[in-house]
Amino acid sequence: MSASLEKGVRVLKEMIDAPIASYFSSCVHCGLCAEACLFYTETGDPKYTPIHKLEPMRRLYEQEYTLLGRLKKMVGLSKPVTDAELGQWQELVYNSCTLCGRCSAVCPMGNDIVYMVRKFREGMSAAGHAPVGIKGAVNRTVNIGSPMGVKLPAVKAQMKHVEEDHGIPIPMDVVGAEYLVMLSSMEIINFPEYLAAIAKIMKQAGRTWTLCSTAFEATNAGMQIGNSDLARVIVSRIVEGAEKLKVKTVISPECGHAYTALRWEGANLIGRPFTFKVQHIIEVLGEFQEKGLLKTEGFETDRLTFHDPCQLARRGGVIQPQRNLMNMVAKNFVEMPDAGYMNWCCGGGGGASAIEEGEELRLAAFKKKKSQLEAVKPDRLVTACANCRIVLEEGLEHYQMDIPVIGLTELIAEHIPDLAKSEGA
Amino acid sequence: MHGPLIETLARQGVTRRTFMKYCATLASMMALPPAAGRAMAEAMAAAPSASKRPSVIWLPFQECTGCTESITRSHSPTLEGLIFDVISLDYQETLMAAAGHQAEEALHAAMKANEGKYLLIVDGSIPLGLDGAYSCIGGKSNLETLKEVAKGAAAIVAMGSCAAYGGLPRANPNPTGAVSVADIIKDKPIINIPGCPPIPVVMTGVLAHFLTFGSLPELDKLGRPKAFYGETIHDRCYRRPFYDQGKFAKTFDDEGARNGWCLFELGCKGPITHNACATVKWNGGTSWPVESGHGCLGCSEPDFWDGGGFYKALSMPANPLKMVAGAAAVGVAVGVATSVLNRGKKGAARAAHEKTTLADLEK
Repeated sequence: MSASLEKGVRVLKEMIDAPIASYFSSCVHCGLCAEACLFYTETGDPKYTPIHKLEPMRRLYEQEYTLLGRLKKMVGLSKPVTDAELGQWQELVYNSCTLCGRCSAVCPMGNDIVYMVRKFREGMSAAGHAPVGIKGAVNRTVNIGSPMGVKLPAVKAQMKHVEEDHGIPIPMDVVGAEYLVMLSSMEIINFPEYLAAIAKIMKQAGRTWTLCSTAFEATNAGMQIGNSDLARVIVSRIVEGAEKLKVKTVISPECGHAYTALRWEGANLIGRPFTFKVQHIIEVLGEFQEKGLLKTEGFETDRLTFHDPCQLARRGGVIQPQRNLMNMVAKNFVEMPDAGYMNWCCGGGGGASAIEEGEELRLAAFKKKKSQLEAVKPDRLVTACANCRIVLEEGLEHYQMDIPVIGLTELIAEHIPDLAKSEGA
Repeated sequence: MHGPLIETLARQGVTRRTFMKYCATLASMMALPPAAGRAMAEAMAAAPSASKRPSVIWLPFQECTGCTESITRSHSPTLEGLIFDVISLDYQETLMAAAGHQAEEALHAAMKANEGKYLLIVDGSIPLGLDGAYSCIGGKSNLETLKEVAKGAAAIVAMGSCAAYGGLPRANPNPTGAVSVADIIKDKPIINIPGCPPIPVVMTGVLAHFLTFGSLPELDKLGRPKAFYGETIHDRCYRRPFYDQGKFAKTFDDEGARNGWCLFELGCKGPITHNACATVKWNGGTSWPVESGHGCLGCSEPDFWDGGGFYKALSMPANPLKMVAGAAAVGVAVGVATSVLNRGKKGAARAAHEKTTLADLEK
């Protein structure tokens, strides 16, 4: 119960680093980032201009670390940041930002605005201004082990189901396996097909893999709320698990922020390099495809399109593998406008989907995705992020669009020849 | 086309064709439509006999007669001079035969006969010091004379930099308290034709415009006709390509000077001077200052005399390169100090970091 403005301000002072100083001082106020943000384009409200979402932090930077700002503060031209102001900014920093990174991509000065929002969240959470929904998710992740409250027995139950349905054993805690497969609770609860798909694919590729009983959950709500201390606690579990099992590679599930937390933030959070490699499942599948370890049969004939998860495509740079995989199993694969690097966010990433009071805004922002979909009129929508999938399904339902959403990994697995048959052949 | 002017010109050996060409040139220089040249020619050729010609009164104040020299010694045969054939120059001390009381009488007669219609040309500045005692004509100060004559004028032409802006007499410390025409007369249209002296064709062009259209040409914010003062010397200078290439004469006898490179570093004021020298040139198009190897003095700009030295280059008054080392040292010192301060602040914040637990997310 110790969150306070003072603490928030102190954390922000700690967070403001050389990149942030150079970003703030090089911003030319051109407003291009506004047009890149779906919360601005779909509402037309200028408060959703990405760089404006950082205004309290910008002022603090100016007041604390620049000569002019100190003078302005001294003579009262620059007002100190208040608790009420931070409270007001909660909507801008959490509800209306999915950390999708489109603003960073368009900034002509090369300012990584998302980097700054992520750091601003550190101060916001320390000041007690994180949304209740994300706080709940963090609490459950730290205390129970998963943001949705999933515990090991639930995972074991799913393992059993898959083993029964597909006749493939699901390995757990196998020391020395090549791959450690992580899951997101969304996959454990809502999309168990994912686990089955992994089992089929790994078996066909002839690779050893395992789940870990102490680290099955990949999502990192600590990173989404913007608290490095808590994010470290969460990521450390995975690191310990992976090192205990001596795996070569940890596979991030179809979950955007889980991938970012592990792949890009993880080593920085624990303060040392990993002893293993981190790959997104799509990267692994792409590799299998290139090496000829992935063999599929048959094609989907209906019209399919692919929604690029922001953390995978834009922030992670994985763009081509998912397209190669799509073409492997789909005859009629069409691209939405802006697909790939500049794809529009589903509207619920970065923890936003956990914020109940942000739903109205989320649905308004979904109009962007709606217009993208209307441009190509697909029969089904494929993606590679369980959170995107949930948010897309909600949006599609709200706008009464009858487009089923599926995960790419399971789509691929569906085309892997039946094991019994292939063994027989 | 007939008229007294054409006949006079013919007697002087100027053909009608030459006259037409002159008017067309004049019109194009003032950026008027082609038809204006013909209108000008017609208006001037049809100028009525001596008694009805428009009256012009020329008042000389604190001046050097350079402006009069300029306008009377221009082309040969004096095409500019022909302007005097279409106007009735009723008072011009330097040129008129009359003197003393006769001259004053001529002035007053012209003022009375043409009240409200005559054109007043002024050259020279007006001294206000010692109640105007520095310059008097016929027992009256220039200030008195100007006010008296300006009252009945249709318009006033301030000829030369002195009349237009105070000129040399106004140069610091301005011992006579010299001011320009526009400083005193506020209720008449005034056109400034600055230059020390002005280009003859600029003077005659403005006169021709007034005679033809009965109005003054379009003026800029300093009261100068845009047609002649719309662009800077620099923008029209034939040495401009050297400026763009960074080729400058460093002294008046170096290789750059011999190669005809830009005179910017030798103090040329071309970049800030608005005049037509670079296009019209002087002495019947023979040459002009920059062409003869000297930078522009900026004589058509206000207070050009106090501009800080004719040989001082415009954009390097402080020789900034001399201060580079000092400025860099100051910059580095400020940077280091700020950095130390900021590092301290950030370090303190980091040291005060309390590891967040779940409870710390709540207020």
